[in-house]
Amino acid sequence: MSDYFIKLKARSAGLGFLLPSLLGISIFFIWPFASTIKYALYDKPIGGSFAGLNNFVELMGNPAYRLGLKNTLIFMAFSIPLNMALALSSALVLKNSAHRKLFTLIFLVPMVIPSGSTAFFWQKMFAKNGFLNGLLYSIGLSRINWLDSEYAMAVIVIIFAWKNIGYNMILFLSGLASIPKEHYESAHVDGAGRLRVFLHITMPGLAPTFVIIFIMNVINSFKVFKEVYLLTGSHPNESIYLLQHFMNNMFNSLNYPRLGAASILVAAVAGIAAIIFVKMERQV
Amino acid sequence: MLLGLLSVLFLLPLIVTFTNSFMGEIEIALNYSGKLSLFDLAEGISSAFIKLKLIPAEATLKQYKSVLISDPTFLVLLSNSIKLTVPVVIGNIIVSALASYGFILWKFKYKEIIFYIYITIMLMPMQAVLVPNFIAAGKLGIQESYLAIILPGVFSPFGTFLLRQNMKSIPKSYLESAEIDGASHMSVFINIVLPQMKSGIAALAMLTFIEYWNIVEQAIIFIKDYTKEPLSVYLSRIAEGRISIIFAASCVYMAIPLWTLVFGREDLERGIEMSGVK
Repeated sequence: MSDYFIKLKARSAGLGFLLPSLLGISIFFIWPFASTIKYALYDKPIGGSFAGLNNFVELMGNPAYRLGLKNTLIFMAFSIPLNMALALSSALVLKNSAHRKLFTLIFLVPMVIPSGSTAFFWQKMFAKNGFLNGLLYSIGLSRINWLDSEYAMAVIVIIFAWKNIGYNMILFLSGLASIPKEHYESAHVDGAGRLRVFLHITMPGLAPTFVIIFIMNVINSFKVFKEVYLLTGSHPNESIYLLQHFMNNMFNSLNYPRLGAASILVAAVAGIAAIIFVKMERQV
Repeated sequence: MLLGLLSVLFLLPLIVTFTNSFMGEIEIALNYSGKLSLFDLAEGISSAFIKLKLIPAEATLKQYKSVLISDPTFLVLLSNSIKLTVPVVIGNIIVSALASYGFILWKFKYKEIIFYIYITIMLMPMQAVLVPNFIAAGKLGIQESYLAIILPGVFSPFGTFLLRQNMKSIPKSYLESAEIDGASHMSVFINIVLPQMKSGIAALAMLTFIEYWNIVEQAIIFIKDYTKEPLSVYLSRIAEGRISIIFAASCVYMAIPLWTLVFGREDLERGIEMSGVK
């Protein structure tokens, strides 16, 4: 009998170490997430009646929500392929280069610098009477309202790419390093040209890494809100009004049901991403 | 040569912010307020543009003096950023180190499912996590305090994920031999496991520090008092008011993470790799 308790004690030793984390996660993530779901299913934060999926339906019909969602998706559609292409190219170039450490350092700088430090620079660069427009004016072109028109989307895509290229490049470098050298050597022996090597050895070898990097990019895309907020404040131009702008407004009005619904939708996307992420992790 | 030029272009925001931090107040006003000056009018320039000057005409340390010594505002805000960031880094490392060892030690049928929950939470963007954090803060009565930001940060599952990945490189024989010797789990943890996790912990510290030094979404929601804002948000609001010191302020603010990059580039790289593809 005491044998059982000894074994139980041994097995639960791990639990002891895990306890602070488990408790914290339950209190700050799991339990309130359950509350969020509950709020999303009722029509009023306090004393309301069960509303089923009404909040979700209402949300979909809300023009501000749709704008935020649309812009977030547009941003991702431009930003993710751009970032991954730039990072992959850089990784391929730097893979065997002697300057690899130096350039990795350079590319990591934007990620490490807090957004607030360069916000002023970007503001003065892209303002209506900013530096870039000054250049355009001096060569006879008309000014562009960078921050307050559809061009704003281009601006934030560029700034976000600048910030994230280092991060993605490191992931790609790591993925490239895991492709066995023999594959490249045998291709070389067979006389394969660069493009063929890339298409038939590099890309397939990179496949699971590629998916993981893609997922990380999808999740990280939401972080562009930092740059947008620091550049244009709480009420930006329509073309860069993102999901988080919408949610911020609801925080102020304490509209829990809508907030709950909006955040659960995002959580659902992240949940799917998590499933794919874990699957791919096993394959790397 | 070309690469050198591209690199300079790439680092331009950093370079400009740095060189301009040595500019005097008047020169900054001249260049950055975008208003027409008498000189412009004299030359017949009718449109005012902001000039991005690389080298100040007159270098001065006045900005830094203002930021670090004469003007208390910046130091208060800097301490706000520190008060937010440091507890999260320390707390998260402790909780995550313990938890990662716990995951190895615990023999439980469903522990991988629990780990999977960790991964799911970890992948949630701010937009999904902010509302639950907000609700929890409300129920615990801490919405007005830094704790609303610090506590979720301390318990963020990313740390546990990263350190557990890191643990995979510790040979099992280390752990088993200590257990056979009859050492308690805690002493195995402290004497054998922790030293092996040094680089993982360094990576986690850097990544967490960078993230919270640059915090924005949570700061907007939870911190309503301007004097309690961290620099990450405050610097963007400066606009016309205090442009004379913004460059120096930005430099001091970014100097700290840059410093850690210089010393910890390898650890940072490893941390990024471990969090994604290893």
